[in-house]
Amino acid sequence: MTTTETVREVSAAARLRKTSWYQEPRWRRLAALVGVAVVGAQVTGVEGTNRDIFYALKENFTSTGILVWLAVCVGIWVVREFVHTPLGNAWKTAKQTVKAPAGEVQAVWRKQFWLRVAILSGVLVFLIVLPLLVSRHWQQVLVDQIAIYVLLAIGLNVVVGWAGMLDLGFIAFFAIGAYSAAFWTGSLPVAPPMELNNFAVIPVAVITCLVAGVLLGAPTLRLRGDYLAIVTLGFHEIVYLGAKNWQSFTGGTSGARVERFSIDLGFWSYSWGLDPRPYYWLLLAFIVALLFLFIRLEHSRVGRAWTAIREDEVAAASTGVDTVRFKLLAFAIGASTSGIAGVIYASKLAYINSEAFIVLFSILVLAYVIFGGMGSLPGVLVGTAVLVWLPEFLRDSVPPQDRYMYLGALLVVMMIYRPQGLWPSRRRQRELHMAEEGTGGADALGGTAGGKQV
Amino acid sequence: MSFNDFWDVLILGAVLGSLYAVIAIGYTLVYGVLQLLNFAHSEVFMVGGFGGVIALTIFVPAADPSGLQSIVYVLLGILFGAALGGTVAFFLEKVAYRPLRRRGAPRLVFLITAIGASFFLYNLAGKLFGRNPMPMPQMYENKTVVTIFGSTLNITQTLILGAAVVMLVAVDFVVNRTKLGSGIRAVAQDPEVASLMGVNIDKVVSRTFVLGGLMGGVAGFLFGTTNQVFYTMGFLPGITAFAAAVLGGIGNVRGAMLGGLTLGLVEAFTVEVWGDAWRYVGAFAVLVLVLMFRPTGILGERVARTA
Amino acid sequence: MLNKRIVKIALPVAIGALALSACGSDDGGGGSAGGDGGGGGSFTIAYQGPLSGPNADLGINMENGVKLAIKDANESGDYDVTFDYLGADDRGEPGQATSAAQLVIDNSDVIAVVGPAFSGAANVAAPVYGEAELTALSPSATNPDLTEQGFPTFLRGVPNDAEQGAAIADFFVSEGVEKAVVIDDLGDYAVGLANVIEENLDGAGIEVQREQLPENTVDHSSIARTVMQSSTDAVVYTGYYSQAAPLAVKLSEQGYDGIGLGGDGVKDPEFVNLASGGAAEGWYLSCPCRDLTEDEVGQGFTERYEAEYNRAPGTYSPEAYDAAMMIIEAVNELGDSADRASVHETVAQGEHDGVAKTLSFDDKGEYAGSGIYIYQVEEGEIVSRGNVEDLVG
Repeated sequence: MTTTETVREVSAAARLRKTSWYQEPRWRRLAALVGVAVVGAQVTGVEGTNRDIFYALKENFTSTGILVWLAVCVGIWVVREFVHTPLGNAWKTAKQTVKAPAGEVQAVWRKQFWLRVAILSGVLVFLIVLPLLVSRHWQQVLVDQIAIYVLLAIGLNVVVGWAGMLDLGFIAFFAIGAYSAAFWTGSLPVAPPMELNNFAVIPVAVITCLVAGVLLGAPTLRLRGDYLAIVTLGFHEIVYLGAKNWQSFTGGTSGARVERFSIDLGFWSYSWGLDPRPYYWLLLAFIVALLFLFIRLEHSRVGRAWTAIREDEVAAASTGVDTVRFKLLAFAIGASTSGIAGVIYASKLAYINSEAFIVLFSILVLAYVIFGGMGSLPGVLVGTAVLVWLPEFLRDSVPPQDRYMYLGALLVVMMIYRPQGLWPSRRRQRELHMAEEGTGGADALGGTAGGKQV
Repeated sequence: MSFNDFWDVLILGAVLGSLYAVIAIGYTLVYGVLQLLNFAHSEVFMVGGFGGVIALTIFVPAADPSGLQSIVYVLLGILFGAALGGTVAFFLEKVAYRPLRRRGAPRLVFLITAIGASFFLYNLAGKLFGRNPMPMPQMYENKTVVTIFGSTLNITQTLILGAAVVMLVAVDFVVNRTKLGSGIRAVAQDPEVASLMGVNIDKVVSRTFVLGGLMGGVAGFLFGTTNQVFYTMGFLPGITAFAAAVLGGIGNVRGAMLGGLTLGLVEAFTVEVWGDAWRYVGAFAVLVLVLMFRPTGILGERVARTA
Repeated sequence: MLNKRIVKIALPVAIGALALSACGSDDGGGGSAGGDGGGGGSFTIAYQGPLSGPNADLGINMENGVKLAIKDANESGDYDVTFDYLGADDRGEPGQATSAAQLVIDNSDVIAVVGPAFSGAANVAAPVYGEAELTALSPSATNPDLTEQGFPTFLRGVPNDAEQGAAIADFFVSEGVEKAVVIDDLGDYAVGLANVIEENLDGAGIEVQREQLPENTVDHSSIARTVMQSSTDAVVYTGYYSQAAPLAVKLSEQGYDGIGLGGDGVKDPEFVNLASGGAAEGWYLSCPCRDLTEDEVGQGFTERYEAEYNRAPGTYSPEAYDAAMMIIEAVNELGDSADRASVHETVAQGEHDGVAKTLSFDDKGEYAGSGIYIYQVEEGEIVSRGNVEDLVG
């Protein structure tokens, strides 16, 4: 390396790879952080006005906010570049010290059946008393949003997480369930053949959604992932526009007033009123029952068939798995779960209109499932709860208009740093790992995007 | 429906359809190279609309523009729309998708990132530019240009049709005749082999995004001239254009053009017969029907096959 | 790879931005919270409506009205108590309405609520407010159904559609209209108003054609074509200004020269601004609200609003301001003894002469006032043509 000849030899090749100072990773990281600072200053800046398109930009670039952002980002850069080694080492040691006991805990968890039962019952008891511990506002959030969306998410998890089908029209079945509740309790402008109690509507709604799911699924399930996505999206849009436009049947955007839940057993009767807690317990009962059912299903022949379809549909079919039947089954199970949620939703709010079923919600539920870690029930539960809770929590700390901007940013950042989701299932983790190495697909959509990076 | 009505509706449908076609190209190109449903493309479209408003706010149009001035304003709008659209698409790929590609993340994860980026971008636009709609400053007096069989075509409609045709021809040329195009097709067919053959995948993907972004941005500007500009404007045209891309055979550039035009026409005729309320029902019903009989869209998949 | 050329362009820009921000002055922290009204207690007035989501622009109009009322009250020094603001975003959706309402209810400082803004949300939230005995004075929920349900504390600070429909029919008769196209946006408010208008026009012997134009339609040419084909004398649009503007543009492009009329959702200066090329010129706007330019109170409100929010008062801003002011006066009247129930009683039985209208309620909580005013767009300004009764009579 010291002789002139070798230098010349290297430089010939190096000319091609010549990097200027600003192309060094260090300076590019600085540029990226400055970029983050500029965007961050816009995110936390002032609210713009449509009368002067430059108003917010001018304000944001001349206020102290951007200086603070720049200072923080450059500070991070300095720490990252110059105090990097000791910090990295400290992080490594911390990780190792945590990892060993965590592994032990995990091993114990897997071995000890009764311990698992005890902890799970503890969690359940905590969930049962939870509404007694929080304010009325959080009780409402728990019922109206968290519990409803958790119910939806575990249903969608069957379709997306287990059978690997991309469903962008999940809320359409939610709408069908809700309108079934309204129709059969005699709340729509059109009178039903006979009026039913809200609880009796649940099986009716399940059957309606099953039929709708099969009707939609049968001709379309042979479509591959992305085509199925747009077909389900189209189905959702058609259901939504039907609810909105067919005012003589659904009440359209003016909506319909729905009866609340009530039980009358002759010797004992109870009516659900304005208090959110009884709805919470009712929802919790449904969620726990469905979870139990779905866990049994996951480890049954059906669940294994879904896994096979998800990992390689052609191989599954060639080994004798009736792929169409099992896909249809997953689709129908998801749809009917969504229908149950719809009935409860309509009965809780005692009012529905078409605007409760917009396409955006289908997309949101999908985001919840994948955020949590698709295919993993605990992941889906936690992920949904966190993502629904977040905008409510942000109420106090950011302007309400901007809540969903932060949600979007969180989704991007989360997926970049933890694509497997909050709490991935072990099988999914392995599939992802295989996908990273390029030896297998991680979903039924086939392959990864853009192939493996070189 | 009389003959005259038919021509009226045909023109409306063709104008709308050509806009959809231009947006759909953005979806289809990205899908071709990444097999990714780029939901955030609708936000690239939205940004293009704001780009036009920004351009025309800086270079305030005269109250009574002459013909030459009008042309300059329109070109400025197109330029700014394209520039902003391309920039956003470039950074979108770099920030949101490239890290995922490096990890070989499954495609559903890309989808969620795209949704997250879309949420972030349109809410940020709402915050920066206000949540009320804005008009596109007037660049010309919207006179009738030609009359075909008693149906008229005004300047805005001619502009949209003309710009769309130019862009569609240009993108078809780029994909089929240039070096970048053969790179795009190679990556679409098999990224690993392409990289072994010396195609720089990163560069091709990045430029594909920019190409789609330029078109999306111009479409946003054109949409602004015939409608108005607001932060959620990307959602509905975005979903329809996405459907158009799928209808034509996603990943297939000519398919996207055909799909866009088809959906535009279907919408126009649905509206004529059943009214505006049922616009998307007609479009999506056609989509579902076509996919039932041709599961990979009208022209089939993949950029590569058009070559 | 960061391209060399891109960096060459980006670098000066980045440096420029840095320099710009470095030179920028510190202008944060201006504007104090307002004067202390003299030793009395402090109460919070809440607002519930869409602050995010697709209807955020309308919600923000109202929020600004409420905030301005609170600011005015605190700065005027006329009141013994001070007021704070609490915003509760429900995205205009029924699904988020109860939790938003509960957030307000759980805050024990809140004495009354302006809202819920949308009828769907009001349907869900009103019973919850009723249970908490918290006044819910909505500046914009027009669904006639709402006051029929016996919600204990729901008050409607805006006329329901019946009166406006009758007034428009009278106005059209006096203008000699023989056929009208009535267009709604499929929304709750627009459909209700359009139904009433259709009935009244029918009753007046005017031929009616009913059309729908959903919100965020991508192409308004089709509906404009339908209108042209119907050879109508008049078009009524009952939705909001953001849709009315492109509709007006397309109508004028296609050479429509009949009467155009928008409901109170269209009476917003933005309508004229958005309908570029003077397409809004000559449009009539009906509104159950007084002219803000005719007296000092209205002018003062407009000035303060513009100074605070950089734009003219929008649809429902004056209504929200009036609602908040009515609550403020009721609280002031009650003094320190004010609680939720007594405020409701005072507001429900009181009368408030506001900037847009005089607010009072009947025993169901329905708005009990009258007077529909007709405005017209003239040379880019919305000019009052006076009360419909005077115009017709």
